[in-house]
Amino acid sequence: MTSPISALGFMSSFPTSGVGADMSVGTTTAVPAAQGAGGTDFASVLASSLDGLQATQSKADGLALQAATGDLKDVHDYMIASNEASLATQMTVAIKNKAVDAFNQIMGMPV
Amino acid sequence: MGVFDTLGISASGLLAHRKWLDAVSDNIANINTATSTSQSAFKERFVEAQAVDYGSGEGGVRVATAQFGSGEGRVVYEPKNPLADKNGYVRYPDIDLGDQMAQLIMAQRGYQANLSVIDRATKTYQAALQLGKG
Repeated sequence: MTSPISALGFMSSFPTSGVGADMSVGTTTAVPAAQGAGGTDFASVLASSLDGLQATQSKADGLALQAATGDLKDVHDYMIASNEASLATQMTVAIKNKAVDAFNQIMGMPV
Repeated sequence: MGVFDTLGISASGLLAHRKWLDAVSDNIANINTATSTSQSAFKERFVEAQAVDYGSGEGGVRVATAQFGSGEGRVVYEPKNPLADKNGYVRYPDIDLGDQMAQLIMAQRGYQANLSVIDRATKTYQAALQLGKG
């Protein structure tokens, strides 16, 4: 008979199992295999994603300023930049939501 | 290379067509610009588009250079024009308005097509971000 705890060990083979570990829940010691299996850890993925979002939004802000001061050369430049900033925000929020959902599901697991 | 590359590629298409529109409007604006026969007429503007190799990680199009048509123009007999030479001739640019209007339509449609691509790509990306929420 398989013990229910062994499912935890099985879970560590999922790439997403890094989520729990990187959010410093303290489960890292319980499933040390999660460290090596994930490749790029989720924290750095989220951090670089946020950096990209920051860059996109500041670009859109700069173009909005140019539009206000009359320095904007191309109308479409600002429209595309703001569009891209909006998309990047949606993507980052989606990634964050997925990660939090996964974390909550793991936390809600009856042990 | 980013996640939303399509937007940048379409932006380059928009820029190229905007420059084409500029060239056409320049040509039409100067279609009646008379010069004296000792000078060259207004030279028709052309934009030279060049594809950007997608293998370089960019893709899209850019306007490589602006080309100019002949400055010879056509010589018109207008003795009352202050610019007329002693035989009564002035020089007009040899620009065909019909041709310019056709180019205007092509540039406009090309611009709109690139905008449509951006619109569609945005919807596509948003649909991808909705994955698993249904």
